[in-house]
Amino acid sequence: MSALLEVEGLTKRFSGVTAVKDVSFTLGAGEITGVLGPNGAGKTTLFNLLTGFLPSDGGAARFEGKSILGAAPHVIVNRGIARTFQLCRPFHGMTVRENVVVGCLAPRVHAGGGLEQRVAEILGEVGLAHKAEQPVEILPYGDLRRLEIARALATRPQLLLLDEPFAGLGAGEIEPLVQLIRRLHDTQGLTILIIEHKLREFMQLVSRVIAMDFGEVIAIGAPADIVRHPRVIESYIGKGAHAIA
Amino acid sequence: MGKRNMVGAGVLLGLLVALPPLLHNHYLTGVFIVCAIDGIWAASWDFFSGLTGRENFGHALFIGGGAYAAAFLNGNFGLNPWFSIPAGIAVAVVFGLLVGFPTLRLKGPYFALATLASAAIMQQVAINLWQYTGGSEGIYGLDTLIDSSLGSYYLVLAILVATVVVLSLIARSRWGTIMRAIKGDETACQAAGINVTFYKIASLAVSAAFAGLGGVLFAHYQQAVTPDDFDVFLSISVIIMAYVGGIGTIWGAACGGILLNLMLELMRGLGEYRLWVYYVILMVVLFFMREGFVAPLWRRLRGGNA
Repeated sequence: MSALLEVEGLTKRFSGVTAVKDVSFTLGAGEITGVLGPNGAGKTTLFNLLTGFLPSDGGAARFEGKSILGAAPHVIVNRGIARTFQLCRPFHGMTVRENVVVGCLAPRVHAGGGLEQRVAEILGEVGLAHKAEQPVEILPYGDLRRLEIARALATRPQLLLLDEPFAGLGAGEIEPLVQLIRRLHDTQGLTILIIEHKLREFMQLVSRVIAMDFGEVIAIGAPADIVRHPRVIESYIGKGAHAIA
Repeated sequence: MGKRNMVGAGVLLGLLVALPPLLHNHYLTGVFIVCAIDGIWAASWDFFSGLTGRENFGHALFIGGGAYAAAFLNGNFGLNPWFSIPAGIAVAVVFGLLVGFPTLRLKGPYFALATLASAAIMQQVAINLWQYTGGSEGIYGLDTLIDSSLGSYYLVLAILVATVVVLSLIARSRWGTIMRAIKGDETACQAAGINVTFYKIASLAVSAAFAGLGGVLFAHYQQAVTPDDFDVFLSISVIIMAYVGGIGTIWGAACGGILLNLMLELMRGLGEYRLWVYYVILMVVLFFMREGFVAPLWRRLRGGNA
């Protein structure tokens, strides 16, 4: 398995607080990897660094062997890395279909005349085909989550970064979304990096977990090993509980 | 374009073509010329600000740029007045790029403030460099593009129609979809792989080009330019025209320009109360008809979604 994304010593400081500290990991092509950590661990900041929404303060990140640090967000998307946002950010004032069309207009896509067909395929894939002409303002939250993924897929990514895709969803909505993500991986060979702060949702989905706390990587390994890792337990339960145990 | 829209546009255009010769009044033809020029300004403002949601408070920068380009070439150097059209467009586009490059990368109110300030600065420049610009008197004695007033009117009307058609075609194209996505959520638009800064600057340049063209027409119709062509009052008037017409519709904004100008003229009988009544009507429209007056009214009359 060749490395699609290599991250080395990535660092980001916000006026004295180090939000991401010397983070290193690699993603193999075709892997589904999770980034786990409590709130404030630096997970979203890591995503923002990798997608060009924030400038880094040090380290390196290479996608297909070429540096992506310092590139503008739209340039990185056109290199093949797409992302979703933790809080859904649909284009208000537009329909579901138009929201996906915008992703297909990225220069990378070259949809040309096949644009409408491609949009229809993506909407079918994520299960929003029957809502294509609805304005996004009336979509329920679970559908907005799917629309985030649809818009990212429209840019034809090789690497998909999902920022808490299950946040705010009811128990009944999570399982179909897990299946959707697995299907995208299986049928399109997508490499996927998923942020979650709860263990349960993605333990069944990911093959490897990068555990973070206070901006640092504290452990990398298989899900079953990560849940038993003392520093991961500590970061979730706290030192007090650890001392009692 | 639905059948009813076609009929509506045909009737409106028919009225605009037929009314001035039927009224056969030199003064009223002049009113219609200014109406059509206002329509060009409002439509071009709406193209950029209505579609991208970035409010331009200095449209007069482009209007004045076009007008002064015409005055320099034709008034000062005696060039054929038709050269003013490409020159005025070029100057306005350059102004658009100069304002757009540094400010459209930024979020927040910087763009609105920068456009407001640039128009004010150019107004001061036009006053202070009096050796070249005629100071607050401006430049007089420009030629008309067409000698007969009816001919001038049809030229301006044709350019208004062309402006609305071209800008509407862009608005319905993929470019227009991107502009609306920028209005919807700029960050998400970047995440969808779109070079947001490029599209904003290019759209502003297009908007400026048509505003500058309107400025050239105005300068040659008035046969004069003054620093008022850069005035903040003009910029604000254009925004109000677009709001009354219906933001983001382009044709509605053009109608807003025509309507507000006609309204002001029709109320001349009210004498000194004219502006009072005018502003009360404007406030009613802006407070109670948040989506404007012309475009929503047409949607009601037309019915359906076509």
